[in-house]
Amino acid sequence: MTRSLALALNALGLYAIALVLLVAFAAQLLLHELPCPLCLLQRIQFAMLAVGPILNVRFGLRPSHYAVSLLTAVAGAAFAARQILLHVMPGDPGYGSALLGYHYYTWAFIGFAVAVAAIAVMLLFDSQFRDDGKPQPVGTLAGTAVGLVIALTALNVISTLLECGFAACPDNPVAYELLKRLS
Amino acid sequence: MEFTALFLAVTIVMVAAWWGTRTLALALFAVTFLACIATYLHHASDALKLSF
Repeated sequence: MTRSLALALNALGLYAIALVLLVAFAAQLLLHELPCPLCLLQRIQFAMLAVGPILNVRFGLRPSHYAVSLLTAVAGAAFAARQILLHVMPGDPGYGSALLGYHYYTWAFIGFAVAVAAIAVMLLFDSQFRDDGKPQPVGTLAGTAVGLVIALTALNVISTLLECGFAACPDNPVAYELLKRLS
Repeated sequence: MEFTALFLAVTIVMVAAWWGTRTLALALFAVTFLACIATYLHHASDALKLSF
């Protein structure tokens, strides 16, 4: 695998993360499904997955950058698995609504598992790490992806502040606490 | 509140990774990652309200 192909795949990974964050926002804003604390933690892990690809695009491809995302994906999968187990008892309706038959935390677990597999596949190709000494210019595709992910994560700062306010987030949020307090 | 702080921390890590130095970004990532684990463990130790 050439360096340029690996960088393009890293940029595509950033777009995939942006898509996940966008879908989460869509569920929150259009379906009025407020994320629970564990759901927020999983969303944070999805955002943190982007740190590895950003480092790869900015400083060049290194195994340690992939390791950053790998650690995050394993932690995210563990958090999602915890939420699946919380609702595993027969008769438990689960938290929130289902999307294509699965709850969001089940999709999150699948997403993190796919991320682990994708990073492992990327690490198979040693040729991407052969540094030819030439600095790689950041393309528009990668630059836009980085900007998009940073903007979506910053929007999550605002939405979480509105949802939780300055206190601990409720276990089963039904309203935006800060807006409720201000109105 | 802790989740707002974590999202803010992740945003800062990304900004550091893009505009700052690699060492700073990796250090901030480590701190944020540990904070996530600590937050998870704090919530995971809550008593579960089981229905059986």
